[in-house]
Amino acid sequence: MSEMANMDSEGIDAVRMTWNVWPRTKVEASKCVIPLAASIAPIRPHTDIPMLPYAPLRCKTCSAVLNAFARVDFMAKIWICPFCYQRNHFPPHYAMISETNLPGELYPQYTTVQYALQSFPDPNNSNATQLPPVFVFVLDTCMIEEELEFVKSALKQAIGLLPEHALVGFVSFGTQVQVHELGFSDMSKVYVFRGSKEISREQVLEQLGLGSAGRRPTVGYPKVLQNGYANTGVNRFLLPASDCEYTLDTLLDELQTDQWPVQAGHRASRCTGVALSVSAGLLAACLPGTGARIIALVGGPCTEGPGTIVSKDLSEPVRSHKDLDKDAAPYFKKAVKFYDSIAKQLVSQGHVLDLFASALDQVGVAEMKVAVERTGGLVVLAESFGHSVFKDSFKRVFEDGEHSLGLCFNGMLEINCSKDIKIQGVIGPCTSLEKKGPNVADTVIGEGNTTAWKMCGLNKSTSLTVLFDLSSTERSNVPGAANSQFYLQFLTSYQDPEGKTMLRVTTVTRQWVDSTVSSEELLRGFDQETAAVVMARVTSLKMETEEGFDATRWLDRNLIRLCSKFGDYRKDDPSSFTLNPCFSLFPQFMFNLRRSQFVQVFNNSPDETAYFRMLLNRENITNAAVMIQPSLISYSFNSLPQPALLDVASISADRILLLDSYFSIVVFHGMTIAQWRNMGYQNQPEHQAFAELLQAPQADAQMIIQERFPVPRLVVCDQHGSQARFLLAKLNPSATYNNSSDIAAGSDIIFTDDVSLQVFFEHLQRLAVQS
Amino acid sequence: MAAPVPPGAPRPGANSQPPPPRNVNPNYQTNPNSLADNMQNLNLNRPVSMPNSGPRPSPFGQQPPFPQSGGSAGFPGALPPMARPGPPPGMMGRPAVPPTGPPQSALPANVPPGRPLGQPSGHSSPFGSRPPPGSLSSSTGGAVLPSSAFPSSGAPSGGVAPPMPGARPNVFMSSPPLTGPAAPLSRAPAGPLSNGPPAIVSGALPGASQFPLAPSASQPPVGPPLTMMSARAPAQAPTMRSVLGSPAVTSPPVQPMPSASPFSAVPQARPPPPGSPYGPQTWPMQPQQGAQAPPIPGSTQAQPPRMFGMPQPPTNQAMTTIPPAIGQPGAPLSGPSKIDPNQIPRPIPIPSSSPIVYETRQGNSANPPPPATSDYVVRDTGNCSPRYMRCTINQIPCTADLLTTSSMQLALLVQPMALPHPSEDPIQVVDFGESGPVRCSRCKGYINPFMKFIDQGRKFICNLCGFTDETPRDYHCNLGPDGRRRDADERPELCRGAVEFVASKEYMVRDPMPAVYFFLIDVSMNAIQTGATAAACSAINQVISDLPEGPRTLVGIATFDSTIHFYNLKRALQQPLMLIVPDIQDVYTPLETDVIVQLSECRQHLELLLENIPTMFQSSTTAESCFGAAIKASYLAMKSTGGKLLVFQSVMPSVGIGALSSREAEGRTNISAGEKEAHKLLLPADKILKTMAIEFAEYQVCVDVFVTTQTYVDIASISVIPRTTGGQVYYYYPFSAVSDSAKLYNDLRWNITRPQGFEAVMRVRCSQGIQVQDYSGNFCKRIPTDIDLPGIDCDKCILVTLKHDDKLQDGSECAFQCALLYTTVYGQRRIRVTNLSLPCTNMLSNLFRSADLDTQFACLLKRAAIEIPTSPLVQVREQVTNLCINILFSYRKFCATVSSSGQLILPEALKLLPLYTLALMKSTGLRNDGRIDDRSFWFNYVSSLSTPLAVPLVYPRMFAIHNLSTKEGDESVLPPIIPLSSEHVSDDGIYFLENGEDALIYFGSSVDSSILQQLFGFTSVDEAPAQFVIQQYDNPLSKKFNDVVNVVRRQRCSYLRLTLCKKGDPSGMLFFSCMVEDKNASGPSYVEFLVHIHRQIQMKMS
Repeated sequence: MSEMANMDSEGIDAVRMTWNVWPRTKVEASKCVIPLAASIAPIRPHTDIPMLPYAPLRCKTCSAVLNAFARVDFMAKIWICPFCYQRNHFPPHYAMISETNLPGELYPQYTTVQYALQSFPDPNNSNATQLPPVFVFVLDTCMIEEELEFVKSALKQAIGLLPEHALVGFVSFGTQVQVHELGFSDMSKVYVFRGSKEISREQVLEQLGLGSAGRRPTVGYPKVLQNGYANTGVNRFLLPASDCEYTLDTLLDELQTDQWPVQAGHRASRCTGVALSVSAGLLAACLPGTGARIIALVGGPCTEGPGTIVSKDLSEPVRSHKDLDKDAAPYFKKAVKFYDSIAKQLVSQGHVLDLFASALDQVGVAEMKVAVERTGGLVVLAESFGHSVFKDSFKRVFEDGEHSLGLCFNGMLEINCSKDIKIQGVIGPCTSLEKKGPNVADTVIGEGNTTAWKMCGLNKSTSLTVLFDLSSTERSNVPGAANSQFYLQFLTSYQDPEGKTMLRVTTVTRQWVDSTVSSEELLRGFDQETAAVVMARVTSLKMETEEGFDATRWLDRNLIRLCSKFGDYRKDDPSSFTLNPCFSLFPQFMFNLRRSQFVQVFNNSPDETAYFRMLLNRENITNAAVMIQPSLISYSFNSLPQPALLDVASISADRILLLDSYFSIVVFHGMTIAQWRNMGYQNQPEHQAFAELLQAPQADAQMIIQERFPVPRLVVCDQHGSQARFLLAKLNPSATYNNSSDIAAGSDIIFTDDVSLQVFFEHLQRLAVQS
Repeated sequence: MAAPVPPGAPRPGANSQPPPPRNVNPNYQTNPNSLADNMQNLNLNRPVSMPNSGPRPSPFGQQPPFPQSGGSAGFPGALPPMARPGPPPGMMGRPAVPPTGPPQSALPANVPPGRPLGQPSGHSSPFGSRPPPGSLSSSTGGAVLPSSAFPSSGAPSGGVAPPMPGARPNVFMSSPPLTGPAAPLSRAPAGPLSNGPPAIVSGALPGASQFPLAPSASQPPVGPPLTMMSARAPAQAPTMRSVLGSPAVTSPPVQPMPSASPFSAVPQARPPPPGSPYGPQTWPMQPQQGAQAPPIPGSTQAQPPRMFGMPQPPTNQAMTTIPPAIGQPGAPLSGPSKIDPNQIPRPIPIPSSSPIVYETRQGNSANPPPPATSDYVVRDTGNCSPRYMRCTINQIPCTADLLTTSSMQLALLVQPMALPHPSEDPIQVVDFGESGPVRCSRCKGYINPFMKFIDQGRKFICNLCGFTDETPRDYHCNLGPDGRRRDADERPELCRGAVEFVASKEYMVRDPMPAVYFFLIDVSMNAIQTGATAAACSAINQVISDLPEGPRTLVGIATFDSTIHFYNLKRALQQPLMLIVPDIQDVYTPLETDVIVQLSECRQHLELLLENIPTMFQSSTTAESCFGAAIKASYLAMKSTGGKLLVFQSVMPSVGIGALSSREAEGRTNISAGEKEAHKLLLPADKILKTMAIEFAEYQVCVDVFVTTQTYVDIASISVIPRTTGGQVYYYYPFSAVSDSAKLYNDLRWNITRPQGFEAVMRVRCSQGIQVQDYSGNFCKRIPTDIDLPGIDCDKCILVTLKHDDKLQDGSECAFQCALLYTTVYGQRRIRVTNLSLPCTNMLSNLFRSADLDTQFACLLKRAAIEIPTSPLVQVREQVTNLCINILFSYRKFCATVSSSGQLILPEALKLLPLYTLALMKSTGLRNDGRIDDRSFWFNYVSSLSTPLAVPLVYPRMFAIHNLSTKEGDESVLPPIIPLSSEHVSDDGIYFLENGEDALIYFGSSVDSSILQQLFGFTSVDEAPAQFVIQQYDNPLSKKFNDVVNVVRRQRCSYLRLTLCKKGDPSGMLFFSCMVEDKNASGPSYVEFLVHIHRQIQMKMS
């Protein structure tokens, strides 16, 4: 289960598919129960990917990019597009091409290549080869002093980490929004927008003096020209990090919590919605194509103006899942609609919204999800700005080097696929560009109706799930054996952290299989991990979008159907039921998915659910699988660390368990271990081994933490301690108070009425074999 | 002349009402003595007056009683009689009051009235004369006369003066003192003529004092003597006096001098209590332009008068020539051709080194106040100082019909925070503790000296509504034998016309607000480039130190161009933080708390900021201005407290809320519409600003706007805000950073440091029978009875028009009470209550005699100003003229004794009404050739204008400064005043003309270059700079000139906007447009106007 071990399962292409062989017909496909889907990490780096310093060749009819699967006629200098079979001539600069002199994209092993493209041509300024990235920090000031200090210091640190040429803007908000004009040298200067009034992009531009019509000359601003920004006036607000670091430091030092009075028994007046509107409006003044992100640091719910999620009256709690279910959340829909409009604006501008929410109560992530997800923004939910979940995650965003997130901008994903393959949509951090084509399916899942998607923000680990369908027209295998292969090509253009424009082309091929003939091949092509994750994503999506959707039943039914179809059994004989190894793990995934925070939402707030789902949707398969089914590693004196069953039975007094459920990492000391530790044996030289044992899970936890964004919460606990619940909640309740008699000493029980995996399996077998 | 006024009436009253003397008398008696001393001084006057009287007698002769008396009285005789008359008049006035006058004290008592009379009637003259008297004693009548001479006004020539003085002076002198009495007398006679003598008498007394002169003059005696009203007045006066004097006073007067003295004292009498000396001085002041304090002595008088043409000498001449023409009473105009421009009525400045002392009530009767423009010291003896409240007529007509017949306006001019004279006692503060002041349970009127306690003091009768209230137990006090509470004299609220009550919790809807000053500065390109921003910042910076210290003083600052910039001045910050409000369609305040902070916490930041602002926006190219949005945003910032919002605006508001368009230009291009509805440009463009203003007022935000501009800014629209919020507009057009910065600073400084109050509510209550019809001024009115004043200061005056809702009883008194609830700058909640109780009369002649010219004119001016934006100009001008004609016609028809129809007869008290009316018609507001903004500013300025400044606004003062005397011992700083006629402007002269707001310095074309050099530092008129700053050079002339300017500034509480005017240049035209007596495009000459009026009256008569 180790993450490292699975890295290569995605290979150079970073594509994983639920089915690696596809049935030929739509009917057959639907019988497969698990949808045809691919999870791709569009820009996951891989050392083997070649960088090509020239522009790709595109098919003149379908505009697919020349790739390793194209048939090339070296004599005629012609290539045949594998998607549409169009014959394309090589342009003159490919004249040297020959079987022994291949361009990078034609090397068979280079199914993924990367092109470094000319940056966006700027007719006015041919020198401007690269647009510096823009970071606009949007800081909530409605918080207690202590929190504000935390967040200030985090901000200062972040600004110090920014590349010198990156442009920085600063917006603070509370009851009102304050846009800080960092370029005003005479004194601190802010533009103040009221929090209670919705404001359009045009108004923001006009009022900031950035409007095309009323562009006001800057006052007292040193006339520094930079990269073509000078003429927009926006450089009053956005300054290179190196220029404004001092200003910002001073400004942050002086920044106080919101000064507007808060009535007793009321929430602070916080206009997150308008703050985001204004920030988006400010960025609208940037040159098109500029990579920019709005980094919102929010400490509480929006209570003022558009985007409000709850009234100021403290007696009214923030909406719960129950409220949403019963349609008793009066602000919800309006707020979502508002944030959706912000999302649209940001997408049209190509800018990103990152959300860092730290509060004990909800802050409205559920409502803002749409804006964050559509723009490919980052999201981190923590309890406090002083908490490592926030602090370390935030720092990671700006850090360079090995653990850098590799934040990129202005991504666009295009998918080309073979005839008869239809794209239903994409689940993940992107927005449909509504680019219609023959490969667009009629039914839409997620961001659909298109063959191109915008990813305003993306990073190394960003993943998307593409859902496919097959053409419903009954196909006569016209091309015959020639098309036993089908092709998918993912084209991702983006602007890398240095501002260079890149295009990454991944072309994959898979086999058609006539499932009516051979289901064996189909079986072998099943990727159960990916399937589980896709099911989780689809379930989440359905829960959000379909009224009254019963996720558990839907999952159960699908699992039963799957088992019925692919299991080996005698009808009506549960005991005869066996599953092909390719499927064997899947039911357990489903069992855990049913119990996970993605399906059992009522244990969480809507904010948490939204947060979990966003991460579920954007993480790679391995990480997503961990979210569904945490990994558990056991440490003991007797053996090397080894994976343990995710079962309460794994608890033992003399073991340390390390649970990785993605969002939290639990180091769980068995009773005996805890006692020893409390007695300080680890400090005694003779108990070096014990010290090492104690140290090992911690070190592994740190390794995971370093890799992961957002940084997970680390819980160190002891058996029977109160924090132990973080572990117990994830374990299979094989031992509960109902059957506590037969448990091993030193183990534990879970107080729950939930069914255990065993019971689940029993039912599954019974139902699967039913005729 | 004023002199004529002889308060015959009073005397009769006295005679008739000898009965019950009042307690008051005793005091008076003592006074008389002191008065006597004064009298001596007066004597001097008398002699002077005598001469005049001489001539006049004949005219009077026509009127048997008075003339005769006058004649018989002779100067000496006259005086004594006068004196007595005085008393009687007092008595008379009191008739209602009866008791007081008659008794022994009667005389003294009378005296007071007499004085008032004297003052009024003589206005200028009598008073002038009196004061001089003191000094005169030495110099003798001569000097005095002149003052009195004013009445004779006619006599212009200095030449004449010398000889005349002696004689006439005496006459006048006598007359003046006499005047008082005389007036009554005249009335008495008049009374008989028109009304029953007795009635008149009573009325006469009080009214007589002022009016007497005129009216009395107008009455038979006076009329004849002087052609001109003024002239006659004096003449009559003497006669009158004598007459009166004899009747009433006879015995006491015995000794002419003494008696005279008494009388004079009488006039002084009121003063006498305080100090006899003052008394005399006081009077001198009376002349409307009493401002000129120093030159009191006879000598000065002589000169000044001559200068003005007022001198008596001329009078004499005038007499001769004019007499025929003149009707008995008023100054008749025999025929246009015969009119000697030098003898027509003009304001007579009576210089005086010390102010008149004026007691508000004497002998238990209201004492008509001295002219508003004179220099006087008030002793509050029951009625409030006339500075706080004065009525257009000092007697209240009993019926609406009577008032209608007189054609006069009945209105109060209320200036509740008016600046007192430095020598006056401050208003006493009374603290009733938690229960608050005692009030009438029905009308809620406040306890005052006119509430009558009965039933052993257990109950009191409200003088306003007549209800009988129980006296609160802890306020009970037994009554003395005189029916007054025994503690009345110890309790200010029972013996003073003006008191201030400490407001109890009941009067507060919240804690008294802090003193909040919010400065809002235009930083648009234009403002920056013209230096307006720098000037404003520097002014504010200097003024900060004048703000009250302490934690209650809060300040805030904002600037604006096309956005609004607030500044967080909190001390914790290293530097101020600029907060921009960019949404100017829908504004808001950018911070709840730190935009307005304690001055002590932000002084350094503020100073730094003010220094930086001009440079910070130096390169701004934003031409737009969001004035409306900016004040709205500032208001929002101040909403929780209220306070003063001081706005510095330089261009027309062009964007944001309440944006305006250049209506003026549109009006010009669309000529037909422009002409038809020209006045519409004087109305606010829309209701947005008005609505805003009402909101401001509701939250106690008072807005002052300093307009420093080069262009049209639509003051008509902008001014709505200051007007509604109790603020005012300051207008600097065309703004010059060089010459206007100092004025801007001084205006701002005065604005902030002058006595003022916040979150005020004012109501005027009247006795039954009279009610308030309407208020006008700078305030917001949400309910009919009260006016809300977010800010009220010492310069703000409110016109309160009155109407009858019932008949008043003759002989009773009608009371007015103005209650102003406000918060001081130090955060105390106070109720300032000012009371005025005036006698009621059935006699038309009394009304004329007691008419208060300054107040009447102020009322006329304000009403015209109200009309300007809503009516076509022609109509307004017609109304103004008609009002003047109707009053004069009413007088002519019902009060003047029969005389040649060829005579224009003017009531003495109102003899200058035609002149002022003419001046008004030629004023900026009523000319149609003025800039729209100038006119808008003009009528806005007028709306809160105080009474003392009303006349100067249209009839400015002009001095010659090329020949400022620098000789030693000349106490008077101000040179003589020159009539506003181009005849008096010579080509080699330099003239200084001021109207309380602006000042012009005019150079003739052949001015002596050395004088120029001395005064201005350049040698040729051509070198005169466009932007002028007055400087003091090291030479006596320059020093003197600076002194003059400074004295004027002090008098006007205004820094004056100086403009240099050169002949043959637009500025020269401006100067000559101020020569209101000249014929010009906007109106006829003074003489022509008199003729026109005369014709109109004749037409009406027939």
